Amino acid sequence: MRISLVTVASLAIIWPWLSTAAFAQQSTPAGSTSPPAQAEASPNGIDGRKMFSSTCGFCHQDGGRHAGRGPKLSKSEKSDEYIVERIRKGKTGSMPAYGAVFNEAQIGALLAYIRGLDD
Amino acid sequence: MTFHERYLVGCAALAVAALVTVPPAHAQAPTQPQDAALNAEAAQNDWPTYHGTYKSYHYSGLDQINAGNVKNLEVAWMHFPERATRGIQSTPLALDGVLYYSGSYSRIWALDGATGKTIWSYAPELDEELVSKQTHSPYNRGIAIGHGNLYVGTVDGRLIALDLKTGKPVWDTKLLDSKKMTVGFTGAPLVVKDKVIIGAQGGEWPHRGPIFGVEGKTGAKKWEFFTVAGTEEAMKTWGGDSWRTGGGGGWMPGTYDPENNAVWWGTANPAPLYDWAGSDWKKSGPRPGENLYTTSVIALDPDTGKLKFYHQELPHDAWDFDSSVGEFVMIDRGGKKLVVHANKGGHIFVYDRANAKIENVWQLVKNINFVKSIDPKTGELIGRRDLSEGKVDPPLCPAIAGGISWNSGAYSPKTGLFYRIGQEWCMELTVEKSTPVLEPMAQLNIGATFKFIPPPDGPARGHLSGRDPVTGAKKWEVTYKYPPLASVLATAGNLVFVPDAEGIVRAYNAETGEELWSRNNGMGHNAGIISYMAGGKQYIAVPAGWGSLVADEFVALYGEPFKSMSKNTGALVVFALRQ
Repeated sequence: MRISLVTVASLAIIWPWLSTAAFAQQSTPAGSTSPPAQAEASPNGIDGRKMFSSTCGFCHQDGGRHAGRGPKLSKSEKSDEYIVERIRKGKTGSMPAYGAVFNEAQIGALLAYIRGLDD
Repeated sequence: MTFHERYLVGCAALAVAALVTVPPAHAQAPTQPQDAALNAEAAQNDWPTYHGTYKSYHYSGLDQINAGNVKNLEVAWMHFPERATRGIQSTPLALDGVLYYSGSYSRIWALDGATGKTIWSYAPELDEELVSKQTHSPYNRGIAIGHGNLYVGTVDGRLIALDLKTGKPVWDTKLLDSKKMTVGFTGAPLVVKDKVIIGAQGGEWPHRGPIFGVEGKTGAKKWEFFTVAGTEEAMKTWGGDSWRTGGGGGWMPGTYDPENNAVWWGTANPAPLYDWAGSDWKKSGPRPGENLYTTSVIALDPDTGKLKFYHQELPHDAWDFDSSVGEFVMIDRGGKKLVVHANKGGHIFVYDRANAKIENVWQLVKNINFVKSIDPKTGELIGRRDLSEGKVDPPLCPAIAGGISWNSGAYSPKTGLFYRIGQEWCMELTVEKSTPVLEPMAQLNIGATFKFIPPPDGPARGHLSGRDPVTGAKKWEVTYKYPPLASVLATAGNLVFVPDAEGIVRAYNAETGEELWSRNNGMGHNAGIISYMAGGKQYIAVPAGWGSLVADEFVALYGEPFKSMSKNTGALVVFALRQ
């Protein structure tokens, strides 16, 4: 299921104030089930791409367009909820849990980046 | 009391006294490897330290199993560790017929070396929530023995001592704030005199890669050396505050040269891995300067932790071709005392053991384009490719997994050959500007996206070659469809053992490279391989179990058999000659 465009627009508006400072914020505790905002592509000012290349690109190759240590993410058939939950909780032996590391807006930016990927 | 009665009473008294005074067999076992064994070229009945002996040959002097009878090698016993998440990546140790090894989550087993019977086991309580947030986790790559203790690091930043006889904890020292820095310890410790030395993880992790010296008897931290800006000289090689987030962990165990009282250790790459400054790297970019002592070999005084000398193999490493390989092969030749060290980029460096001055540099791997060459007289990088933001063209060789991986090769003083795995692969790379993320936990600082591709001269592959360790002259080479990722073992039985990625352990004639024996362990190998003696019989022990971060790349690169290979399981497989 995709998340509404209203939420997407809200995220795009607040993002410029999040940027670097957001990296220092505490996130929602792991295990929260509410999905974060998501966009079809990274809105201006959101650095989902840089966040991805800094951390996620270590395993998801070619910026997520190609499988590596982790699966290919572009054109993923997984739901937004699934992707967000995997980012939050990780998978033992495969992927770290980022739920206590990235806040909701950051996870939203990553989801937006992933959804905006072409092949 | 008759003579006969007195005789019987006397015998009974002697028997009682014998029962009281003679301890069980294991209580008589030595709990400290002897200096002579540690300093020898060959590991003999024991495998007392990670690299076999301080000479780092990964060579066993045992020859019961040899080129003539290896065809009769078969499984003697197996052991299955629980929670083998990411397989088994450790190198076992053996002392007086007891085999010790570690698995994921720093779990330890002491097993009868002849039968596999469990003597004791130990499972530390770890911060599981922290572990779930770590990338380089929860595997453990090895242990150390000394001072009557067994030592193991943990991914949540502790060094633990266990009583070697009982497995009971002796002390447990927190060395790293892993909740803040994310990383902990995965590499084996090294025992040197009264100290236990261990290095933290961290190349792509923004910290300062400390190496610690801890008192074996008490667990007290005696010194800490920062591989990033650890001296005033080094501080000047980091522009601005970049030293604060420099990476450079010493995550693999080095070795010890008693003659110079020097602990040789290799360090990881600086963070971010990929620098966008291009040729202006001395003045701009995220970490301007040479970035000492990252991607370096350093020699530390084990008593004080002070730096004695060093050589930076790749000044301002912009490619993640670090010096973390912990194997320092100590060779005496022509009156010179040398150290041979493999760099991840695919070159082998040969040093003067007294001062780390370059004696030679030779190339193990064919597909290298991050430099044109390295000067064999000075070690200077010639024609280095410094990267700028954006797509890197042509693709970078080798790929991020390196031309040489972290596990060890072997050297046989009998053949005079150095046996080392090389990897041939490249990668497409796009460099991105990044900012270190430090709160609430430190995060990876890669600075690029990438994709593995085959090299220009053929498929992505691996090879084992037998070479002169000083000149690199090749005597023989075997090619593998998939690069083996485990350590190599050479023996006085004129054998070289290679546990490969598909799950097959192979034995080669050490002189010719002829394959003499193989056995399928059913899953890839990521660990070490040793030989030891128990009950007068020689054994070969190798953990099987797939799942390192490099191993994870094989699914995308090769598909099967790795797509279907179980990776959160493992077994210690021990071989002996058929009776």
